Amino acid sequence: MSEPRHERMTSDLLRPLERTSWRFYTLVIVLGAIVATGLGTWAYQMYNGFGVSGITWPIFWAFYITNFVFWIGISHAGTLISAILRLVNARWRRPVTRCAEVITAFALMIGAMFPIIHLGRPWLFFWLLPYPSSRRIWPNFRSPLVWDFFAISTYLTGSVLFLFLPMIPDFALVRDRSTGFRRKAYGVLALGWSGTTRQWHRLESAMQIMAIAIIPVAVSVHTIVSFDFSMAPVPMWHSTIFGPYFVAGAIFSGIAALIIAMAALRKFLHLEAYLHTLHFENLGKLLLMMSLLWGYFVFAERLTTWYGNEASEMAVLNVTQRGSFAPLYWTMVVCNFIVPLSILSFKRLRTIAGCVTASFGVLIGMWLERFLIVVPSLGHKYLPNSWGQYRPRPVEILITIATFAAMSLLYVLFSKFVPIISIWELKVGEHPVHEASPAPNRRPEPLFQSEP
Amino acid sequence: MAVYALFPTPDAAQRAVNKLRSSGVANRDIVVISSEPYEEYEFSHRDKHTWMFWIAGAGGVLGFLFGTFLTSFTERAWPIPTGGMPIVAWWPNIVVMFELTFLGAILSAVATLVVSAGLGRRRPNLYDPEVIDGQILVGVPRSSVSADIVKRALAAIEGARLKTI
Amino acid sequence: MPHRWGMAVDLDRCTGCGACVTACHAENNIQTVGDREAARGRAMHWIRVERYWEGEFPDVRVKFRPVMCQQCDAAPCEPVCPTYASHHNEEGLNAQVYNRCIGTRYCANACPYNVRFFDFFNPKWDKPLQMQLNPDVSIREVGVMEKCTFCVQRIHAAEIQADAEKRPLKDGEIKPACAQACAPNAIVFGDLNDPESEVSRLSRSPRGSKLLDDLGTLPKVTYLSRQEV
Repeated sequence: MSEPRHERMTSDLLRPLERTSWRFYTLVIVLGAIVATGLGTWAYQMYNGFGVSGITWPIFWAFYITNFVFWIGISHAGTLISAILRLVNARWRRPVTRCAEVITAFALMIGAMFPIIHLGRPWLFFWLLPYPSSRRIWPNFRSPLVWDFFAISTYLTGSVLFLFLPMIPDFALVRDRSTGFRRKAYGVLALGWSGTTRQWHRLESAMQIMAIAIIPVAVSVHTIVSFDFSMAPVPMWHSTIFGPYFVAGAIFSGIAALIIAMAALRKFLHLEAYLHTLHFENLGKLLLMMSLLWGYFVFAERLTTWYGNEASEMAVLNVTQRGSFAPLYWTMVVCNFIVPLSILSFKRLRTIAGCVTASFGVLIGMWLERFLIVVPSLGHKYLPNSWGQYRPRPVEILITIATFAAMSLLYVLFSKFVPIISIWELKVGEHPVHEASPAPNRRPEPLFQSEP
Repeated sequence: MAVYALFPTPDAAQRAVNKLRSSGVANRDIVVISSEPYEEYEFSHRDKHTWMFWIAGAGGVLGFLFGTFLTSFTERAWPIPTGGMPIVAWWPNIVVMFELTFLGAILSAVATLVVSAGLGRRRPNLYDPEVIDGQILVGVPRSSVSADIVKRALAAIEGARLKTI
Repeated sequence: MPHRWGMAVDLDRCTGCGACVTACHAENNIQTVGDREAARGRAMHWIRVERYWEGEFPDVRVKFRPVMCQQCDAAPCEPVCPTYASHHNEEGLNAQVYNRCIGTRYCANACPYNVRFFDFFNPKWDKPLQMQLNPDVSIREVGVMEKCTFCVQRIHAAEIQADAEKRPLKDGEIKPACAQACAPNAIVFGDLNDPESEVSRLSRSPRGSKLLDDLGTLPKVTYLSRQEV
């Protein structure tokens, strides 16, 4: 194929690995400091007792569970883009898959920290593992939290493998271009890959199986997270719509996170030739669709509650729409629905900047949505005499900020050590189109665009 | 002694593979190495047959059975009543069984990949770093056919650069 | 016949004095959280007296309702605990095992009566107040959930005593701290499996109703009050 183009592609995509600027070090130090602060805050919470947080009777879940659901939701980006687009053979996915899968892996790792952070006795979290203990007791499989454990472990294992497997040929590429310690390190990661036809075939088969398997797992993970709420008899939690509602919300927030990550990579790693406006356009259209879907679910849920007119549920409905939570609620509606619809419905506004703006709005809106599901319901259960208020305290706010810094830090470090766009997949994309029903004179999609 | 040649295009590599076959080299003795997969070419289809999908399915079944065993056995081992639910509660058990099914499928697919692709082995039998520059390696690590015949077959295709190990 | 412990609370007798709350604190070594934490809503009243005002001045009436763990037969707090810390025991009580609790607080969220409490800090009693602690009840450390147990330590003590004396338990022999402290005898405790016990009789009363019984939790506390037409 076109050797100079491939050479250019390889050197472009390996440049972040080969050259480091002072900006990288600054970013790592700043983000690292924030993450360290978060860890220190958590240690402070463990040492002094959970009372340093804002949790109170009867609002026993607040920021940490909001963050848990939020980050697990973000992790659905990778599965949607990578697995689903891979299965439907969407050609525009090729530069985007690894960015998305990285978000999934790291968002899952961060999200999975929160069930531990929010425990009263976090040093005993391993009691959720089903192991034959000397106390002869096993976890309670009727508990949605145990389902969470299995679901998140399966999804994390699957996602990490799904991320790692297509990295192997790229590790081999870096191995062969390096010397010394780098060569050895990447050699270990490449697992002795040479690139025989047999290996390529097995790799592609494995990727196919994983893509098929990871989609039901992803759907089940966020459904099970929603079961944490819907299995409890709490007004406006005990709703049958929660499963699909949460999955839709997860994909929604995941696409927003992906757009932001891709825009950042495009700018800071000078990947304008690879991440085209077409990619952002397509993701922007997906974001628009998910915004409409989200609006549909919220409307269906609230209309049903309003018609049901059950006293406890109406109390929660009113406190979110008209009471003390109203400012947050309407901000959420604007960020999740009005802003994305206004920007993304019009082709002229569906630029990279437009998509990024809408995505930031969606991230804020989705975080608020999780918060507004958890806290108002807990504060207004069936007995009005025991209703309560929640106010976050510095511990929770610091840890929340630290997780955003942790995500950014992990992403920055990853893009330094691994090519953020899958080089071999991009090269395959340049091959003549060879699909099941090929259009006769279809030109392969150009990898480069001469204009930025 | 292993004989191989580097070719600049996959068309040349395909012609080389055909020539080797017509020179009497067995199909499974021919190794083609590239830095990207060439699914459109016949030389990629030789190794197509794989048990991986069946193994992944079997792994899924194993995961399902393990999930069933884990939940129902542990629930019966020390029966603790909760919330008026039965001791072996199948609705919640299904959730765990579902997850372990897919975990089984995923892990067995990856295990099959590692084994059948020979990943994790210290040293690949035949390799040339020029492959990463886009060259395609067609070679015969060992065969009943003599090395000279192989060399002649490979050299017959234009653009070949012959090497031996 | 195994016992099935239940309670009947007569709202027409309750004066709202709060002696039950104080007695419960004393009997069960409940920590006093201090004024700042109480202002944050973290007071741990295993039994609390809810106060309701009705009418406009000068025709104001006040109603009291002592609410403690209802020991539900279909307790929503039990299936959600990942470590079986909250489970149902053979005598119908919802048992909380402090040593198994890892503090997920799911049980407290699932409880519609809000009768479950979390230890936000390690308990501290300034000397010499630690001398008043009940040796029959364990101290809960930070991070675990606790709630009314129907004074299970008293139940066990009475059962052991009756066993030693080779006789059955008498009705009224076991009195939880709240029942013992209640001056107008508004709180009655006993065995619901004994049809002759006072609590069984009261639970069959036409004045009886259960709190939030439309939720299907099957609570074992019957509240008696004059039904207004």
